[in-house]
Amino acid sequence: MPSSTSSSDRPGFVRLTASNRPGVAQPVPERDIPARPWRPIMLGAMGMFVLMMGGWEWYWRANGAVPGYRNSDAEWAHERRRIDHGEGAKTVLIGSSRVLFDIQLPVWERITGERPIQLALEGTSPMPILEDLADDPDLTGRLLVGVTPGLFFTGRAARGSVVKYAHDEGPSQRIGNWLSRLLVEPHFAYYDPDFALATVIERQDWPLRPGTRAARNVRKLKIQDADRNSYMWSKVELDPDYRALCRAVWAANFNKPPPGMETAAAKQKLIDDQIARAVAAVTKLRARGVRVVFVRLPSAGELYANEQKTLPRGETWDLLLKRTGAPGIHFEDYPELQGYNLPEWSHLSASEAARFTAALVPIVDRMFRDRER
Amino acid sequence: MVFNSLTFVVFFACVLALHAMPFPWPVKKVNLLVASYLFYAAWNPPFVILLWISTVVDWYAAQALVHAQRPAVRRAWMLLSVVANLGMLSYFKYGTFLLDNFSSLLSVIGVSYQPPHFAIVLPVGISFYTFATMSYTLDVYLRRAAPARNFLDYALFVTFFPHLVAGPIMRPTELVPQFAEPRRATPDMLRFGLALITLGLFQKIVLADSFLGPAAEAVFDHGKGPGVLDAWAGTLAFSGQIFCDFAGYSTTAIGVAMCLGFAMPDNFRFPYAAIGFSDFWRRWHITLSAWLRDYLYIPLGGNRHGPARTYVALMVTMLLGGLWHGASWTFVVWGGLHGVYLAVERLLRSRFSGYRPGPWMLVVFGLLTYALIDVTWVFFRAHSFGGAWLVLTGMFGANAGAEPILLTADLTLVALIVSGIVFAHWRMRARTLEAMLATVPAVALACVWAVMAFAIVIAQGAGNAFIYFQF
Repeated sequence: MPSSTSSSDRPGFVRLTASNRPGVAQPVPERDIPARPWRPIMLGAMGMFVLMMGGWEWYWRANGAVPGYRNSDAEWAHERRRIDHGEGAKTVLIGSSRVLFDIQLPVWERITGERPIQLALEGTSPMPILEDLADDPDLTGRLLVGVTPGLFFTGRAARGSVVKYAHDEGPSQRIGNWLSRLLVEPHFAYYDPDFALATVIERQDWPLRPGTRAARNVRKLKIQDADRNSYMWSKVELDPDYRALCRAVWAANFNKPPPGMETAAAKQKLIDDQIARAVAAVTKLRARGVRVVFVRLPSAGELYANEQKTLPRGETWDLLLKRTGAPGIHFEDYPELQGYNLPEWSHLSASEAARFTAALVPIVDRMFRDRER
Repeated sequence: MVFNSLTFVVFFACVLALHAMPFPWPVKKVNLLVASYLFYAAWNPPFVILLWISTVVDWYAAQALVHAQRPAVRRAWMLLSVVANLGMLSYFKYGTFLLDNFSSLLSVIGVSYQPPHFAIVLPVGISFYTFATMSYTLDVYLRRAAPARNFLDYALFVTFFPHLVAGPIMRPTELVPQFAEPRRATPDMLRFGLALITLGLFQKIVLADSFLGPAAEAVFDHGKGPGVLDAWAGTLAFSGQIFCDFAGYSTTAIGVAMCLGFAMPDNFRFPYAAIGFSDFWRRWHITLSAWLRDYLYIPLGGNRHGPARTYVALMVTMLLGGLWHGASWTFVVWGGLHGVYLAVERLLRSRFSGYRPGPWMLVVFGLLTYALIDVTWVFFRAHSFGGAWLVLTGMFGANAGAEPILLTADLTLVALIVSGIVFAHWRMRARTLEAMLATVPAVALACVWAVMAFAIVIAQGAGNAFIYFQF
């Protein structure tokens, strides 16, 4: 590699490639190093890079962001593996984002002495996870299944592919997650999908193209700990504009039927299908002694009203409990599970989640014990 | 492991440190070999066995080839190598495809056959390293090259991690001689290598994954026929994505090898400035097109046996080249279209051999080439002919009343990035990157380098696999 020879010494020089030498043995490639002062260039680039990164981190912290662990597939797989590595007798939490926000693992641990395994996924029906766990003989403990009507009974699973990821995850991905947890996630606030370059650019005030709707993706709502314990980001609770934006994201879907439920017949079929999946999974779990409880966590405001309208309890929740024969906890049935602050209608604030968990755990515990007798 | 991952950053730092230690050269080569196996095993450890099989079979086949005197015996050893490599490739890559097509064929003649379900996992990069090892025995068989003098150099040629899983597809004569003498990067080689790695990762993480990929996906996976604007924007976005993804990988690989003191060949040369399709294939995935030319097109007769045979050889080469990219008929059509383009171009060149286009006509021909290549990308990107047809009809205005798909931000970014890529290719079409960089002020180079590195980090790439890994 003639580093002393620069292509700038030979104006118009273009290296020959294999395409210029048909049917012969290809020689050792020639690569040039442009004759530039690379040492100061690299030092200058490194200096500017550090300054820009510092400014970027400062900007997000000034906007209220704090470092947290990433809600990645690898992180979910990390928690999922605990079941297969000797912790299968513990309580496992599955469900959608309400289980993530509303159930605080430290509070649960303080009350019961056991810290559950958190496997809930935002925007995702628990059904793929429930079915995966039903087929896993290593799970022998207790299973709490969160029921968010718009996800559970439609089967929508934005992150359902995580199950396959967890089974297929290679050594490189595991090591990458371990390094990220060690070197990046607990230290940098900017490292959050909501603050990624493409997301930031997309969320600028672009003129609306006729016939399209403005992108209304769910905003950053939570902070996550190392074992996926999650709680609401304080900005949602304290910043009225941001809270209104978060509510508007939910409201964008209010005046239309849930996907796949455009007709009464399609709706009923979808609900029946999802309940049938749940029945099959719960039957398997019970056969090997796993206790299962369904939990309908609170919602509020216009979101609650919309849930009542589109997926009323009598057509969904009650059928689920009847057909599975599993116990269920609906927040409407327990005074101690009502009256909490849900800033954006769907999830409890961090402080309320702690209070709520303290009220929920004894009920769950009682229900599990009842089934054991 | 993928280049765009934290795992690779740490791995590469360890390899660089180890390579800089004062070990004897053979020990450094063993270090590189072990590191390369670790690099590959990080995806799926058992698949290292396939790598070993390919390595050992071709080593012994080449040794036997040298000592064999009779042509029949030489041919037998060559065929052993080809059958072993293509057999592995066929089983893992085309097994399900062949069975499905066999089943469909039987159903056409009224026989119902349901093939057993095999969950065959495609070993990453198998198409690349089988072609690299085959070129070793084929070069020895064709007496173009002598076999490697020792097994370590040969095994390192096959396994050397910068080119292992997605090329450039190296020939033994390009790499084995580099292992003969101790190599270590000079400080400037190391710095420039790091700059190339930054450029490659910028192309992949920022341009391909963050901006172009999602726009292409929105159009191609929409499920309904797009309008003219969306269809073209989605296709142009994919043309930019596939280039930034693959050229980004090649640039990173070249940079990684350079940091260790090795030279790898160019794999891309500003292909969207191509004027004509033979020019395109001299600029796009150069190491594959040269491989297909040397080991398929020329042995099929090339242009030595009259026009008819030339066109047949051309079409067979391009159809198989399409199939190399994936076990799907859409890839075959993609290759077939390129074959047709090349054949038509050849015909026109012979008919109008005296024609010399002026500068503006060159631009027109260049843009026409790019537009026709975009049509082929539709088959490359779509998951089925139905999906391809939806986008193609959209591109030609046949999806009346189609609902808009892409937002203003997507359209703007696709337009900016793709026109930037095409413009840059035209500015660079007769130059090398190095020749251009040699004329740029140092301050500007430092700024661009810093901005690219900053963009890579804040893009927060999810470690998406490179598109060509699936091939």
